[in-house]
Amino acid sequence: MNQPSLHPHGGRAPAIDIRCLRVDYGAFCAVDDLTLSVPPGEVFGLVGPNGAGKTSTFRVLTTLMEPTYGEVILAGVDVLEDQAAARRVMGYMPDLAPLPSDLKVWEFLEFHAAAYGLGARSERRGRVAECLEEVALMEQAQSWCKELSRGQMQRVVLAKTLLHRPRVLILDEPASGLDPLARRDLRNALRKLAEGGATVFVSSHILSELAEMCSSLCVMNRGRLLAAGTVDEVRRQLGSTERTLTATLLTRQDEAAAWLKTHPAVHDLHLTGPQLVFGFSGSDEAQADLLEGLIHRGVRLRAFEEKRSSFEDILVEVAETNRRP
Amino acid sequence: MNPIPPPTHPTNHAAWAVWSNPIFRRYCQARLRLRSAGIALLLTLLIAGFIVAMVSSIGTRSFMTPVDAARSGIIPLLVVQGLILFVLGTAQVAGGMTAERDEGVIDYQRLIPMSPLAKVLGYLFGLPVREYVMVGVTLPFTAWCLWRGQVSWRIWLPLYAVVLSSAWLYHFTGLLTGTVARNRRWAFLASIGLVFCLYTIIPQMAKFGLVFFKYLTITPVFEECLSGLLPDSAGTMVRTAQRLLPTVKFFNLDFSEALFTGFSQGGLILTFVIMLCRKWRRAESHLLGKLWATGFFIWIQLLLLGNALPLIDPGSLFPTHGLSGFARIVSDWKPQPMEAVAMSGMYGLVTLGLIFVLGGIITPSADHQLRGWRRARKQGSATLPQLADAATAYGWVLVMALAGAAGWFLFTRALVGSHWFPGHAVPLSTLGYFAAIMLSCGVGFQALLEAKGGRVVVLVGILVGVVPLMVGAVLSAVDGMLTTAAWVTGMSPLSLPFYAVGSLLSLAELPETVAQAVPQAFYCWLGAGVGAMLWLSWRLWVARRAMAASVLALPPTLPLSPTPSC
Repeated sequence: MNQPSLHPHGGRAPAIDIRCLRVDYGAFCAVDDLTLSVPPGEVFGLVGPNGAGKTSTFRVLTTLMEPTYGEVILAGVDVLEDQAAARRVMGYMPDLAPLPSDLKVWEFLEFHAAAYGLGARSERRGRVAECLEEVALMEQAQSWCKELSRGQMQRVVLAKTLLHRPRVLILDEPASGLDPLARRDLRNALRKLAEGGATVFVSSHILSELAEMCSSLCVMNRGRLLAAGTVDEVRRQLGSTERTLTATLLTRQDEAAAWLKTHPAVHDLHLTGPQLVFGFSGSDEAQADLLEGLIHRGVRLRAFEEKRSSFEDILVEVAETNRRP
Repeated sequence: MNPIPPPTHPTNHAAWAVWSNPIFRRYCQARLRLRSAGIALLLTLLIAGFIVAMVSSIGTRSFMTPVDAARSGIIPLLVVQGLILFVLGTAQVAGGMTAERDEGVIDYQRLIPMSPLAKVLGYLFGLPVREYVMVGVTLPFTAWCLWRGQVSWRIWLPLYAVVLSSAWLYHFTGLLTGTVARNRRWAFLASIGLVFCLYTIIPQMAKFGLVFFKYLTITPVFEECLSGLLPDSAGTMVRTAQRLLPTVKFFNLDFSEALFTGFSQGGLILTFVIMLCRKWRRAESHLLGKLWATGFFIWIQLLLLGNALPLIDPGSLFPTHGLSGFARIVSDWKPQPMEAVAMSGMYGLVTLGLIFVLGGIITPSADHQLRGWRRARKQGSATLPQLADAATAYGWVLVMALAGAAGWFLFTRALVGSHWFPGHAVPLSTLGYFAAIMLSCGVGFQALLEAKGGRVVVLVGILVGVVPLMVGAVLSAVDGMLTTAAWVTGMSPLSLPFYAVGSLLSLAELPETVAQAVPQAFYCWLGAGVGAMLWLSWRLWVARRAMAASVLALPPTLPLSPTPSC
């Protein structure tokens, strides 16, 4: 699998290359010297709590905002130097997927097809139909945009984003408002796009969705990049080795509890009947040693369970850090 | 899902090809649906038909000739067309533009690969397309009236050309209002208010010597064409009156009203195009660049002077000339000295207003400045480019203030030194005073805005600009407080131009009660104003240095380079 990295690597030129990007709003720094590169064909997720700098990053990437400084290259096009070319290689789906109230679905897509100059009228209509098929909205082609459900609106905007066959797709919260079936379709659609060579940069608050959808992701907080890589790599980079262990003992519970309390990686120990529940912040090796130690002390161990903090938990913790003054 | 095919190479949308402009076509689709546009078109058709039928019927009953009867319908139709295009069209443009932002779809339009000019023209012609069609519905009736009324094309062609150019000017204003305003209702009201002001308040300014402003309306061309549009009997009277009126002059050049209106409106339209294109290119940009804003200010000064100066000798620039009407043919009409004084004061005030507006546009906010300095630091520079939005506008406003003072001085000198006021002249030292007023108010305003921001300027504007006028007005109504009122009123920068001409011009005949107080207050407040301007300039210099130092003193980061690491 392609590994996104903090620095571009040799071989293929990155599809998205952000260097030293900074965005300020007065004295507030929304994005602080962000450097990131994503190889082509990746579905890359951007995760972070509110105020992390996701939207500002997306707005710079999509030429909608001028950064304080920095460089952004999309599919080989310098976004700040050649906006027009950047807009041709990139497709953007904003959060909330707004649609005009005075147009029908078909007209909205036809307008964008014409604006992107997608050939003669018949070609444009063909492409519009193709995109509507892709988002399973052909039946709503003659509906008014304002009459669609939230999920349908999301899909219409996705169809609009795909119209000109962009090499880089930038999707802000694309899964919000979609029912489970539509989410699955979206996930599959994005994967197919990536298989076809497109790079998808997607943000979401539904972290489990993002983990399923993306081949790799990065985490931002307070304008800074905290980690990037696969879900496991990100978990490791964020330093989350914290887990809760539960040992069910048949004998010598008190003795085992007393011994565990002396272990430096053990904390918050509770003895409930035969069960010893405690937090553990050591390495995997240390955990194996712990288990061996218990057995060595003649404890009859019936069960041993491990519960790691979920990805959501990690991000909630990040968000909490963000809220603290 | 299709695998990613080769990238498409979209065709460029030529800005001039409005008919194939996707934004224009999108609005044609949305605003010309039979269901919604049908009623508006039917209503327009009925009104236009009713007007023509009614005037024809009245004409026949009152034994008018068919030519005169047909001509009677032209002006009512023109009024209907004006209302549709100027009021409804402008409001639609402003409201429609704001609606795009309200709905959140403006970002899509920003991203479509069309040139800013093509987008601007797409909106300009697309948003009011229904209003164009509504006017189109009335045109057969107008054509019938013109044909039956035997109106020469030399009459109707310039008139309708100016109607169209005025409509574009107002629509551009609406587009700009819609782009800048945050609220749909405000954009709608502001644009209608603007058109209303153009036909009610602006003509009053023209009476005070600021003739240029009336060329932003169709009034001059309409008045020129009026005799040819009216029934013969009324037309003869108008023709007689018109013979007494001078032709439009710009310095020593003679122009037709239509040509000069087109020239004046064309300049403004071009400026609006520049503003809108800048906003489409980059949403955070100032509406105008520093160089363009300064050039625009000087161009307005030239237009004001070019229009006003040739009208001084014939006397038609003076307000009482217009009011006296035909009486001046027989009586020995002469302008009043205080007319000239008031006109000069008004010129100074309008010039100051222009400096406030243009200076406000090009002055960078603290946010802009900070970003500019950070960018400069990143690029290894210790200065900002002079023409960048983040660079100080101080020098440019200084140039505007000096140019404004020169224009004001030239206008006043021509007015006072004219044959109407023998024995009076304006000494060169007056230019110094005028410059001091423009610098203290204009540059002081700019320095305050750049150093402290818009909120402080509004607060100071209320406390120093408006409150003294209100207090002065109240005190002037109290017995024995006239001198105090004169002192308090003089504190406001808005009254300073009038105090200046009242104190400096030999023509000025101030009432005895304030004859001493006004000059004393003027010199005192001018001194205070200059002092405040110098202090604010120093504060601005200190603030900018501090900001630059705070950014440039940060630990250096590697400059941007093609190397990936940083």
